[in-house]
Amino acid sequence: MSDILIRANNLSVHFPLRGLGFGERPVVRACEGINIEIEKGSFFGLVGESGSGKTTLGRAMLKAAPISKGEVLYSDGEVNYSLGEIQKDELKDYRKRAQLIFQDPYAALSPRMTVRDIIAEPLEVMKLTSSREETDARVREIAAMCRLNLEHLRRFPHAFSGGQRQRISIARALVSGPRFIVADESVAALDVSIQADVLNLLNKIQAESGITFLFISHDLSVIAHTCDFVAVMYLGQIVEAAPTRKLFSETWHPYTRALLSAIPSLDPDVRGHAQKLEGEIPSPINPPPGCRFNTRCPHAQDRCRSEVPAWREMSTSHHVACHFAEELA
Amino acid sequence: MTNPLISVENLTLRFKTDEGLVTAVNDVSFEIAPGEVLGLVGESGSGKSVTAKALMMLNAENSVYDAGSKITLNVDGKQHDVLSLRRPAEQMVIRGGAISMIFQEPMASFAPAITIGEQMVEQLMIHSPMTRAEARDISIEMLTRVGIPEPTQRFGQYAFEFSGGMRQRAMIAMALSTKPRLLIADEPTTALDVTIQAQVLELMRDLVDDFHMSILFITHDLGVIAQTADRVAVMYLGNLVETGTVRQVINSPAHPYTRGLLNSLPKLDDLEAPLTPVPGDIPSPLDRPTGCVFHTRCVESGDIAERCRTEIPITTIGADNHRVDCHLANPGGQA
Repeated sequence: MSDILIRANNLSVHFPLRGLGFGERPVVRACEGINIEIEKGSFFGLVGESGSGKTTLGRAMLKAAPISKGEVLYSDGEVNYSLGEIQKDELKDYRKRAQLIFQDPYAALSPRMTVRDIIAEPLEVMKLTSSREETDARVREIAAMCRLNLEHLRRFPHAFSGGQRQRISIARALVSGPRFIVADESVAALDVSIQADVLNLLNKIQAESGITFLFISHDLSVIAHTCDFVAVMYLGQIVEAAPTRKLFSETWHPYTRALLSAIPSLDPDVRGHAQKLEGEIPSPINPPPGCRFNTRCPHAQDRCRSEVPAWREMSTSHHVACHFAEELA
Repeated sequence: MTNPLISVENLTLRFKTDEGLVTAVNDVSFEIAPGEVLGLVGESGSGKSVTAKALMMLNAENSVYDAGSKITLNVDGKQHDVLSLRRPAEQMVIRGGAISMIFQEPMASFAPAITIGEQMVEQLMIHSPMTRAEARDISIEMLTRVGIPEPTQRFGQYAFEFSGGMRQRAMIAMALSTKPRLLIADEPTTALDVTIQAQVLELMRDLVDDFHMSILFITHDLGVIAQTADRVAVMYLGNLVETGTVRQVINSPAHPYTRGLLNSLPKLDDLEAPLTPVPGDIPSPLDRPTGCVFHTRCVESGDIAERCRTEIPITTIGADNHRVDCHLANPGGQA
C-alpha cells in the first residue's frame, strides 16, 4: 500500500437554501458519498461538467467548503488532520500545506499590488519569513522556478499576458512550500499554446518538488495528458476512477464513455461519432433517485431508477459505480 | 464555378485609439461559397471576431477601413458592396437579413427582461412584413426545429429560465428564423460542456444541410473545426497565414504557426506525445513585427531568419487553392 496524502471517506457537502418557512429546507447536495484517495506525489485529475460538484469537492479538501457528512483525512508524515474536526491552530498550519490555484488569472491577482507583493503576501501573512531580505530571497527563488524575470517583480499584473499571470498565480501558491495543491480549471481560460506551456510547467514542478496535485478540469484531453489518475464526477458523485491509461483502455461507466466520445476529434474524416446524451445535468437540489445518471443514460433500467449503485473495484484501483458495468462493457 | 456568397478582398481595418492607430485586420482576403462552412481559427487577439463583425459593419465607431478593402455579398442575383452601406435602412440587407450572428455567451445576447418569444417575434416582424401571429408560429416552429422541448411554453419564458445549452439553441433558432444566407457563429460552443457541445455541433451540421446556408465558424478549438468546417482559415495577429480544406490544414499544415497550434494540443490517441507550446506570447498589435508577423515566435525559420524578419511573405498557392503566407513555402521568393 502506497502512501495516501489525502483521502475522502463517504464525504458529503450540502448547502442548505433558504426555505419557504414551512416544511423541510431545500438542500443543494453538491457532493454525496465521495470516496477518493490521493497518493503522495501524484497528479490526480478530477473531470466533470459544470454543476458536477468538482470545485466543491476540491474546496472541501482544502477545508474551504463545509464537510456535512463523512471525513477528509490529511496525512503528510509530519501531521495528521481530520479536516471535519480541525482546530483553529491546526487549520492555520494546514493553510501552509495546502494551496489553491484559481481559474481566472485576471480576477485572482490584485491590480494594486506589484507581482513581488502578490507573491510575498502569503509569507508575510503566515509569518514564514523573519526579515525582508529572507522574504525577497524566497520570492526570487519561486519566481525563477515559475520562469518570471526579476524585472517582472516590480510591475503590476495589468502588464502581463494571461499565461504570465497564471505563472504568477502558481508562484503565489508555491511560495509557502505546500505539500498539496488544488488547481481548479487553471488552464481553462488560456489559449492552447499558452495552455500547453502552463501544463508543462505544472508537470515540471510536480516532478521536481514532489507536490501532490488535485487537478480539476472539464477537459478530458487535458486531464489525460497531465494526470496519472483520473476520477470522473457527475452530479455530486464519482462515477468512475482509475489510473489514466486504464480509464481510457477499459472504460466501464456509460457516462465516461459518452464524455470520451463527445471530445471533438481532430480527424476531419471522423465526424459525428459523439455518442449522444439526451438532455442536461439535473439539479443537485432534487437529484434523481437511484443512479444519478439514470435520466440521461441510454441503458437505464428500473433498477437504476431505484437502487444507488455500489462503488465497486473492477480491477486494481479501478472503481466504478454502475449496476450494469459488466453487461455494457 | 458558382459565385461565392461573400468575398472579402484586401480587408484592412484599424482602430483609432489614444495610443495611435491599431491594426486589427491586415490585408485579409477570403471567400465563402453557398452552403460552405468556413472555420476561422486563431488565438485571442488574432482578429477573428473583428473580421467577422466587419462582414456586418458591426465594428465600433472608431474603426477605419483602408481604401482598398472590399466586401461583396451576392444574394438573389444582386451584388452588394457591404462597406459602402451607410444608412441603417441599407444595412438591414446584411444585418439580420442575409447575415445573422450568434455569439459565445447566449445569456448576454438576449435581453433579460423581455421573453425569448417576444424577441424572436420582434426581429421577424422587422425583417419581413407579417402579422404577429405568423411570426409567433414561425418562432415556435424554429424552437421545435432546434430541439427545445415544450416550445410553446418556452416561447413565453425569459433567458434566465433557460440552461446554457437551451439558450444557445434558442439563439440559433432566432438567428435562423429570418432564413439568412450566411450565419456567423462566434465561438458558439465555447461556454458549453462537451456533451452539450456535441449536441449543438450536430444540430448545426443538420441545419446547414436543411437550409443550405453558409457558416463562418469562429473558434480557437481545432477539434471543433475538424468536426464542422469544409475549409479553414488560420489567423495570427490580424493576418490570414493559411487557408485550405479542412483536411489540408489539419492533416498537412503548411504554416509553422498552424503546426505550432496542432503540436500544443493534447491528443487523446497519443497520451505520450509531448505538448510543445508556441514559444512566447502574441505581440501587441501596437507593435506589429516587421516582415512576417509570426517571425518573433517561429521555430522553423532557421537559415532564412533574416529574410523572415525583414520581408513580408507573399501568398503561395498550392493544390486545391491551399494558400500559405510563409517564406519556407516559397524559397525562391517569386510570386
